[in-house]
Amino acid sequence: MFTEFLQNCIDGLMIGSGYSLLALGFTMVFGVMKRINLSYGPSIMLGAYFGTWLYLNLEQNAWLVLLGTIFGTVVVGIYVERLCFRAIKSDSTIASMVSSFVIWMQLEEIAMHLLPERTYPFPAFFAAKTIEFGPFYVRSEHLTMFILMLIIVLILHFFLYQTRQGLAIRALSDNPMASLYIGINRSKTLFLSFFLVSLLGGIAGFFILSTDSQITPFFGLWATFKGLIAMMLGGMGSLPGAIIGGLLLGIVEANVFWYGDPILRDISAYLLLFVMLVLRPGGIFGQSIVLRQRLAQERV
Amino acid sequence: MDFYLNLINTIGIHTMLGLSAYLLLQTGQLSLAQAGFFAVGSYTAAILTVIFQWNIIPSVLVAMLVSGFLAFLVGFPALRVKGLMLVVATIAFSEFVRMFFYNLKWRVTRNGEEIGPDGTMGFAEIRYFSDNGWSNFEVTLFLWSFVILIMGVIWWSDQSRTGAVLRAVGEDELAASSVGINLTVVKVSAMTAGGFIAGISGGLYAHQVTSLDHHSFTVLLGTFAIAYPILGGLSNVFGTLVAVIFIQGLLVEGLRFLGDWRMILFGLLIVLAMNFKPLGLFDKQTMDLIKKAIRV
Repeated sequence: MFTEFLQNCIDGLMIGSGYSLLALGFTMVFGVMKRINLSYGPSIMLGAYFGTWLYLNLEQNAWLVLLGTIFGTVVVGIYVERLCFRAIKSDSTIASMVSSFVIWMQLEEIAMHLLPERTYPFPAFFAAKTIEFGPFYVRSEHLTMFILMLIIVLILHFFLYQTRQGLAIRALSDNPMASLYIGINRSKTLFLSFFLVSLLGGIAGFFILSTDSQITPFFGLWATFKGLIAMMLGGMGSLPGAIIGGLLLGIVEANVFWYGDPILRDISAYLLLFVMLVLRPGGIFGQSIVLRQRLAQERV
Repeated sequence: MDFYLNLINTIGIHTMLGLSAYLLLQTGQLSLAQAGFFAVGSYTAAILTVIFQWNIIPSVLVAMLVSGFLAFLVGFPALRVKGLMLVVATIAFSEFVRMFFYNLKWRVTRNGEEIGPDGTMGFAEIRYFSDNGWSNFEVTLFLWSFVILIMGVIWWSDQSRTGAVLRAVGEDELAASSVGINLTVVKVSAMTAGGFIAGISGGLYAHQVTSLDHHSFTVLLGTFAIAYPILGGLSNVFGTLVAVIFIQGLLVEGLRFLGDWRMILFGLLIVLAMNFKPLGLFDKQTMDLIKKAIRV
């Protein structure tokens, strides 16, 4: 009984690491821009479609697919940044969100033109194996994703806290006005973070899809929802929040899936989010912003 | 002719849906739950006319009340979250509603035929208009009388103190509460009114299309609902109507000759509009131009 629960938690952690990677992308864009990029998931989807297209038409090589996916996602990411975020004035958050949603439909349409069938196989680096740890089992591709998540988080941490560019990104997300005064180039930093986020998205997309070993046009919607929910659970704009939120979502989903109904799995994600928003509107790590707003309200 | 009447009906339904989001946007609440209220309204009205054999007018009114009550309930937890968090929370709500109707199965046998919502298969036996011998033109008139009524009420509230209060909350909550506006009352009543309107439009939609499918109530519909008022601008109700005609009439139907590539151009055109007019086509600047043109 207890072993079962632990096994579910391990599975959840592994699946959740994929959600964490997606949430990291959302949270970084939100941090520097204070806007949501709804077409983040679809741009990963289109990148992965490009990778699959290479796989089907050129050479059957997983490395090629990985590079193709990353390249495609970065190109689409830059396209989205130019069209929906760079050109629209910084105070119209809603206009950006609606534009990024419209671009989402556009990206889906392009993906359908690139590969018109519903499902395509997606390659993995190595054949799926099951690794045993005493009474517990772990799928090798899940383990790869989990370790990869840890590595990416370490690299990201190094980049954000040890380099000048990382400092610029943190300054911009902390206080946009002050960072302008000390001479940080806003649009260059935004571009850099968008580039970084797309890179991250491409890698995350490849590994998530290769554990599923198939790709459908619905992946865009799925990735956007899971990433957004994981980000909101952890707290918007917080990097540790994104990681914890993703893992928490994975664990809850795995347990609901095991003890309850498969249909309940998606509903449980929404329900978890709803409960979190009612009890702790800022998410796990974002409560301070909410408290600050509430204090301001009370002072009036 | 029927094609154009159908198009006019679609425009009418989407205008009501857009107006339900318009009220909420005025108070600064960005809600994607309108698709959920729309779904509740359409299923409620359809179940009443099909299973209980009600007349259409009381059915639509009950659908309105049910959706409004649900919106009232959603309004309270929604008070605690703001801006983009509200967007995600309301997406969660409307997906939850969609999942509910996806699993709803309520079949009854009447006159030797099985009718009612059938889970994943949808709800296909809503033939109120054809059973009662309504012509297409009468359906359009019936539907548009609701549209004109709702537009009139919102137009009137825009001119009165109600509109000013809603706008004040949307512009700056702190300033609004410091002049003695009760934020809770304003926001929850805007949410409830939005639910009422979405419920009416859902009820009419169900009878106009004659079959319901959970696929029509996705987040796409919710985004369209907020896209209309945003594209049209929040200065008056006609902006929303113009935006619906622009999107549904011109982009969706007018570009049909482009085939599958239509969606790509469609996206580009809306993004361009948002780039040049981030506050909507009918923002303050445009309104001033129009006023000047009328005076000359």
